[in-house]
Amino acid sequence: MQGGFHNAIRTAKTVAALEWRLEWRQGHQLASVGLFALSSVYVAFQAASRDVSPGAWTAMLWLVYLFSGFTAVGRLFDRERSSTRRYLQWTANPLGLMLGKLIHAILTTTALSAIVLCGFLLFLGWPGSDGHNVTLVILAAWLGGLSMTTTLVFVTAVASQIQTGGNTLGAILGLPLLLPQLILATRMTAGALQGTPWPMLSEIPLFLIALSAGTSVIACILFPYIWRA
Amino acid sequence: MSNWNALWKFGGILLLAYVIVRGFGTPLQPGLVEASPNRLAPGHAVLELTAVGQPFAQEGATPEGFTLVLRSGQDLIATQLTAVGPHGVSAAALIPDQVPSPALDAFLFTPESGTLFLGNAFFIEGAGIGPVPESFATTAPEDTAPQLGFSFPYQPNIIESIRNLLWHVPMWFAMFFVMGIGFVASLGQLRTGDARWDHRAEAAVRTGLVFGLLGLATGSLWARWTWGAWWVSDPQLNGALVTVLLYTGYLILRAAMGDDERVGRLAAVYNVFAFVMLVILLMVLPRYTESLHPGKDGNPGFNSYDLDNSLRAVFYPAVIGWGALCYWMYTLRLRMNRLEHRLLTK
Repeated sequence: MQGGFHNAIRTAKTVAALEWRLEWRQGHQLASVGLFALSSVYVAFQAASRDVSPGAWTAMLWLVYLFSGFTAVGRLFDRERSSTRRYLQWTANPLGLMLGKLIHAILTTTALSAIVLCGFLLFLGWPGSDGHNVTLVILAAWLGGLSMTTTLVFVTAVASQIQTGGNTLGAILGLPLLLPQLILATRMTAGALQGTPWPMLSEIPLFLIALSAGTSVIACILFPYIWRA
Repeated sequence: MSNWNALWKFGGILLLAYVIVRGFGTPLQPGLVEASPNRLAPGHAVLELTAVGQPFAQEGATPEGFTLVLRSGQDLIATQLTAVGPHGVSAAALIPDQVPSPALDAFLFTPESGTLFLGNAFFIEGAGIGPVPESFATTAPEDTAPQLGFSFPYQPNIIESIRNLLWHVPMWFAMFFVMGIGFVASLGQLRTGDARWDHRAEAAVRTGLVFGLLGLATGSLWARWTWGAWWVSDPQLNGALVTVLLYTGYLILRAAMGDDERVGRLAAVYNVFAFVMLVILLMVLPRYTESLHPGKDGNPGFNSYDLDNSLRAVFYPAVIGWGALCYWMYTLRLRMNRLEHRLLTK
C-alpha cells in the first residue's frame, strides 16, 4: 500500500511536469485559451456601458471565467484518447495520473484567473469605488476557479471515454455540476465588491474549499474505474 | 413470497387512497386571516374580522361565549361583539387616544375552537404613546381547550396549502430512497462488473427522476402560494434543481454512449459521484446557509407541523404509501430493463 501511494505521487509529479512541458512546447494551446479569455473580456467591455455595477461586473467575470475554464480543462484528456492511452494504461498508476492531471488543471486555472482578472482590471476597472476588498475578490476568483476545476476534471475524464462528441458532452454534464460552486463564488465576488464585511462572507471560502476537496477525493477514488474500463 | 408481493403493493395503494381521502377531506382548524378596516383612529370604531377553515359558530349565532380582545404592547383593550358568523365576527370598540404601540393584535376567544390570533390586525393613527387608560382596559378571559375533532392545524400564510405536506415531502423522501438503491447498485456494479447491478441502477435513477420532477412541481406550486413566486433563489431550491439536472445528465451520458459495452461501468462511476453531490447539495449545504425553506436555518419553527398528531396520522402513511408506489415503479422498470437485455443478448 505504502509503495502504491509513493508510486502514485511519483506518477503525479511526472504527469504534471510532462503536461506542463507539453503545454510550453505546443504553445498554441495555452495561447488559444488566453486569447479566448481576453477576447471575451473585450466583448464584455464593448457590451457594457461606461459604469458597470458590481452585479454586472461579477456576472461577466464569471461567465468569461466559466467558458474559458471549459476550454482549458475540456481538452485535458485529449491525448489519452489515442494510442498513448494503451501505453499509459499499462505503465501509469491511475491515481497518480488523476492527481497529475488535477495539479496541472489547477495551475492552468490559476494562470487563467490571473489573465481574466487582469483583463477585467485593464478594460473595465473596479466597479463601485469605495469599500471593496481587492484581496477578497482575488481569493474568490481563485477559490471559485479551484472548485470549478476539480469538478470539471472529473467530468472531462468521464466524457473523454466517449468516442464521438465527448467534448460537447463534457460541457453538458459539467454545467449543472458547477452551479453550486458558481453560486457561492459569485456571491463572494459580489459581496467583496460591494464591501460586505468579511465575517459575513467568511464561510463561503470554507464551503468552496470543502467542495473542491470533496470532488477531488471522489474523482481520485472513482478514476481508476474509468481508467480500467 | 408472491403473497407478500401482492400485500405490499395493495397496502401501498390503500395507504395512498387513505392519504388522498384524509388529506383533502380533513377540515382545517379555524384561523383569522383578515381584519378591516386596517387603520383606526381614536374614538368609536366598527371592526370586522374574517376567518377561514372550519366554522367556529352557527349561522346567526349569538355572541355569547365569544370575546374579542385587542392587544397593544402588553395592554389589552376591550371590545363589544355585535355579530358572530361561521367565518367572521363584527365588533364595536372604543379606541383610546393613547396606546403603548399603534399596532394592535387581535385575540378571539371562542367556546369550542380555542383562541384565534391575528398579529398586527389593526393600526391606530393619531394616538399618543402611553399606557392604555383604565376605562378602556380589560382582562383576558380563560382560554378554553379546543374541541375540534380530527382537523389540520391552521398556520398563517400556509393555510389550506398545508395539505401539500402529504405530497411534496414524501415525494422527495421517495426520490432519496430510490436514488439510494441506485447508489448501492452502482457500487455493486463497480465491485463486480455484473450487468444486473447496472439494470438496477438505471431503473432506480429513472424512477427517482420522476419523483424528483414531481417534488419540484409540487414545491413550485407551494412556493407560489406561500412566498409569492414560482421560483426563488434559495440554497435548498438550487440544490434540488442541480440534483434533477445531474440525474438528467446520467441519462444523457447513457444515451450518448449507445451500446458501448463500457456504459455500465461509466454510468456507475457517474452515479456514485451524483449521489455524493446529492447528499452534499440537499442535506449538508442548506443546513449551514440561510434558507426560506422549512426545517432549515431561516425557518426552524415550521417543524411544529410534524409534531401535530392529526397531520402525523396522515403524513406517515403518505411517506410509506409514496415509498411503496415508487418502489413498485422501480421494480417494473427493472423488469423492463432485464427483458430488453435478454432480447438484445439472445
